Amino acid sequence: MLLATAIFLTCQREGTSVSVPPTTTLVLTNLLARGDTEGYQRATEPRTFSFPDDHGAHPDFRNEWWYLTGNLTSADGHQFGYQFTLFRSAITPDDPDRQSDWATRQLYMAHFALTDVQANTFHASERLSRGAVGLAGVTTEPFRAWLDDWEIAGDNPPPFRLRAGTDALGLELELTSAKPTVLQGDRGLSRKGREPGNASYYYSMTRMPTRGVVVSGLKTYAVQGSSWLDREWSTSALEPSQTGWDWFALQLSDGRDLMIYQLRLEDGAVDPLSSGTIVSMDGTSERLGSSHFSIETLDWWISPATRIRYPAAWKILVPTEQIELTVTPRLADQELSLSVVYWEGAVQVRGSSNNRAVTGDGYVELTGYGDPPRRKPTQ
Amino acid sequence: MTALLYRSSLRYLLRHSWQLLLAVLGIALGVAVVVAIDVASGSAQRAFELSSDAITGEATHQIVGVSGGIPQDLYRHLRVDLGVADIAPVVEGDLAVSGHENRALRLLGVDPFAESRFRAYFANALQSGFDLTKFLTVPGAVLLDRDTADELGLKPGNSFGVVVGGANRKLELIGYLEGGDDLTREAISEVAVVDLATAQEALALGGRLTRIDLIVPADAQQEKILGLVRQDLPPGVELQSASATRDTANQMTRAFRLNLQALSLLALLCGAFLIYNTMTFAVVQRRHLLAVLRAIGTTRRQILLLIVSEALLLGLIGTIIGQVAGIALGKSLVGLVTQTINDLYYVVSVRSITVDPWTLVKGTVVGLGTTLVAALAPALEATSTSPRRAFETVELEDRVHRAVPAVTLLGVLLIGLGCGLLFASGKQLVPAFVGLFAFLMGATALTPIFTLGLMTIATPLAGRLFGQLGKLATRGVSATLSRTGIAVAALMMALAVTVGVDLMILSFRSTVEDWLEYSLPADFYVSAFDSPARRYASGSSFDPELFDSIKGIPGVVSTTALRHFQAMMGDTPVRAMAMSFVDESRSAFSFVEARPSDVWTLLDTGEGVVVSEALAYRRGLERGDRVSLDTPSGQADLEVAGIFYDYSSEQGILMLSRDLYRHLWADDSLTAISVYLSDSADPRRVKVELLKLLGDWPRVQVVSNRELRDQSMRVFDRTFRITGVLRTLAVIVAFVGVLNALLALQLERTRELGVLRAQGMTPGQLWRLISQQTGLMGLTAGLLAIPVGISIAVIMVTVINRRSFGWSLELQIVPATLAQAVGIGLVAALLAGLYPAWRMSRTSPAEALRSE
Repeated sequence: MLLATAIFLTCQREGTSVSVPPTTTLVLTNLLARGDTEGYQRATEPRTFSFPDDHGAHPDFRNEWWYLTGNLTSADGHQFGYQFTLFRSAITPDDPDRQSDWATRQLYMAHFALTDVQANTFHASERLSRGAVGLAGVTTEPFRAWLDDWEIAGDNPPPFRLRAGTDALGLELELTSAKPTVLQGDRGLSRKGREPGNASYYYSMTRMPTRGVVVSGLKTYAVQGSSWLDREWSTSALEPSQTGWDWFALQLSDGRDLMIYQLRLEDGAVDPLSSGTIVSMDGTSERLGSSHFSIETLDWWISPATRIRYPAAWKILVPTEQIELTVTPRLADQELSLSVVYWEGAVQVRGSSNNRAVTGDGYVELTGYGDPPRRKPTQ
Repeated sequence: MTALLYRSSLRYLLRHSWQLLLAVLGIALGVAVVVAIDVASGSAQRAFELSSDAITGEATHQIVGVSGGIPQDLYRHLRVDLGVADIAPVVEGDLAVSGHENRALRLLGVDPFAESRFRAYFANALQSGFDLTKFLTVPGAVLLDRDTADELGLKPGNSFGVVVGGANRKLELIGYLEGGDDLTREAISEVAVVDLATAQEALALGGRLTRIDLIVPADAQQEKILGLVRQDLPPGVELQSASATRDTANQMTRAFRLNLQALSLLALLCGAFLIYNTMTFAVVQRRHLLAVLRAIGTTRRQILLLIVSEALLLGLIGTIIGQVAGIALGKSLVGLVTQTINDLYYVVSVRSITVDPWTLVKGTVVGLGTTLVAALAPALEATSTSPRRAFETVELEDRVHRAVPAVTLLGVLLIGLGCGLLFASGKQLVPAFVGLFAFLMGATALTPIFTLGLMTIATPLAGRLFGQLGKLATRGVSATLSRTGIAVAALMMALAVTVGVDLMILSFRSTVEDWLEYSLPADFYVSAFDSPARRYASGSSFDPELFDSIKGIPGVVSTTALRHFQAMMGDTPVRAMAMSFVDESRSAFSFVEARPSDVWTLLDTGEGVVVSEALAYRRGLERGDRVSLDTPSGQADLEVAGIFYDYSSEQGILMLSRDLYRHLWADDSLTAISVYLSDSADPRRVKVELLKLLGDWPRVQVVSNRELRDQSMRVFDRTFRITGVLRTLAVIVAFVGVLNALLALQLERTRELGVLRAQGMTPGQLWRLISQQTGLMGLTAGLLAIPVGISIAVIMVTVINRRSFGWSLELQIVPATLAQAVGIGLVAALLAGLYPAWRMSRTSPAEALRSE
């Protein structure tokens, strides 16, 4: 969910961006790499959230995203994981004063990934568009966030409908929310860096019962499961000393949800600004500081495509919550090799919570593990 | 033996170096004209195809609007509602760079996010990392090919002025396009790529796109996707394959290019006569030598080979020189060709000359082939005569005279064949040109009999006027028909072509002038389009309120509202014009064979439409036929109330009343307004008022009828400049031919003239004899060229032009043009006689007698 910031970070370090595929996909990366925050709004102090307005766009902040992940199962036990993200990025602080409807400062990018566990396949794709003439954008009444024919839409409160992918590989889902909206960090202000303003506004819907259809491998499956929505907007977040992060969103069988992220520093240490949130069955949430949890890597996996080495199994301890979990990917290869290269995949969880055995599903995001491949332009 | 033969041949050629030079020049000129036209029109066509390909990119299909583009929401609908992913929006127009008025570029507005699969040079440019933020957010940000930028003296960051759609704009170069190979680089040199927003603003397109490009691979899904797209297209919007666009453009200029090619072939034909003439002379002059060679045992085959080799050598040298000269000439002609294409069809600018290898092959085949064919007849003649008889020159002339009836018959047959082809070939252009050529060859074959006839009539007359010397001159022409016949024929042909082309242009011009005189009755024309060529495709239009405001200007008595658009007639688009008729505007139309009142009744009641003559010709429409038009309110079945004369569009126009248009198309907007003033009004003051009123409109032109007429005539004259150049070239070739023929003829008579001098003829008398003889030949050619030239003009006006453009022209026979032809003939002939006369008069009789 911190992906857009990851793009930002990666590109700052790399100078130029990657070229996979060798076309416009690098465009947004370039755009996101611009460091000038002058003229944009900043997340400096807690604010009052109001819905449905805050489901919509905050155009004066530079970056924003609508981030859905989830684990789904068909009646005959076929398991799927999915990720759908809509990124918004402003390229100038002010709206252009121009005649053409096509002139805009808002650009959108969407990532869609589908993990088919039994078929052992993972597909990811990307789209870009300008936020103009109805090609991409976000409206609040009714709520709709879309790029081309991929969209999240619905009422406030949910149900939301999600449609993404193609006729051959895609999904159409309906999501409701089982718990109240969670404001992450300090009343929704999530600090990522030491500088004031290096922070985002961040809220989540951590448990969204989901049903619908998935099309994969020439077959259509009726599925149900659970999804997780993250909403975040900011102008700047990470600082140059931070190299990447490991982010976990886990839904446990006892009804609790755990979100933790660990920011990694250049020297390999864990940034004390790393944090998390535990959401109880009734929806009450509590912040977790970096001292409240630990993450131990149990295994590694090297991507055959990019040669990047990612962690591939974890031991997570949250002593204050009496949580002890082993997290393993449902598939090893859930690497998105798009304009930015990162690993984001469905995971399964085993362990104990409050001294009782639990299982669970979730999503993990790993960024900053390797230089993006520098392919030569092929045309 | 063979070596000896070739030595004698070389000796002969060197001794007649004048002749040799002129023959080579003739071939070279003929080949050069053909090559030049091919190079010029080929380069223009290739430049257009390249830039079309660059603009089309990888698209397999295109969605195009038949009238003024397509609504941009259609693009959103296809992408967002229907999920068609491989599509890209395009806004396209033309721009001229200020200060480089001849540098036309195609303005291409694209959406970077949809481009990746469509146009590689744009994707490559992205790779090379230009500032995309600027591209998207700076109004007027543009990418150019690096060489084009250098040529215009621009560096990234530089602003420059352009004229787009008649308005001045500023663009800023922010980066370079990256073409992979040379071909792409050449293609993109004609393209200025901007963001779609900039393009819409520059062209004042509002919320419209020029087209939508699609990539729909030919697989199992293709029909499904195309079907999905097709079912949601609004009226007036079409899905077509990308190749169809190029075909349309090629089709448009086909007639124009064909006309150029035919004219260049005429020049070559004159060149061919020259070669024939030279070779015939080469044989005739050496009859004695050849007879000796035959008598001492040289075979016919060897003689044939000798003559053919000589011809091929001349042909080869001429062809090589012709190719080089042709390419050079093509370079200077390409400007004229492009100018015409820009005026009449589409914008193209040719930056580099491309010489298609086929052009060179064609030039070589034409040059050597013509030489060979032209040399074959004299070569066979040289070998077929028995050695004994070949010693007698008289025998040759006898034979030639005996052959005159056969040649005449051949001529009559050719003329018959030509006329038959012209009448029987329907609407086809190529057979019409073949017919024209057959007619011309036939007429040329009639030259000997005409010459003999004229000389028979002229002998007594010449005798009375110039005494014995005059009779000597006319009889001399008849007696040496083997040589004079060809020279007269070549000159006649060239003069006839000149007369024909001149009369055609004059007829065309006066028809258009007359038409302009009555078809532009209004005092001012206010238009929303910048160039007439774009008026049917332009998206810009007025609101109807403007029409009412103009009516209110003091001095304005009447106004006519016009809406130019494209309608769908069956499956094909047709240019159309809706007009609100007032009494003043009715005089602008003249109908073919119909009572105007009948036509106007049908138009006014909205029961009928009228079509221009070109459209009627193209679609085979006649008065009383019914046409079916696609309109937003369904199919409209309308009667063709009449056919009107119009020379503004060779594609043709359909016209209907504005009330009917408003009813069927539910559109109130206007593209042009004609303004009529009262007699007492001051046009200048009204124009000031008009401009004041129009101040708020972004791109409006106010043109007076006088300016419009002048503009139209300027375009007309530009169009025919290339025709004029070709005609002149044909005359030069013919002139060289005549010079050559007459020169050879007189030089060959050295001995004969020496005898005359020895018998007491003074140098002055000799000079008179020679000039009288060549003058007679020029006169003969000039006189015969009059009927033949008029016939050519008739064929061009009634057949070639009609089939090329669908226009009927009123034939004008201008005496001055005819007199000019006779004049040119005389002058050419007299000039040709100067040198031999001068030389002969300076040679002592004894020397002259010895010389041969």
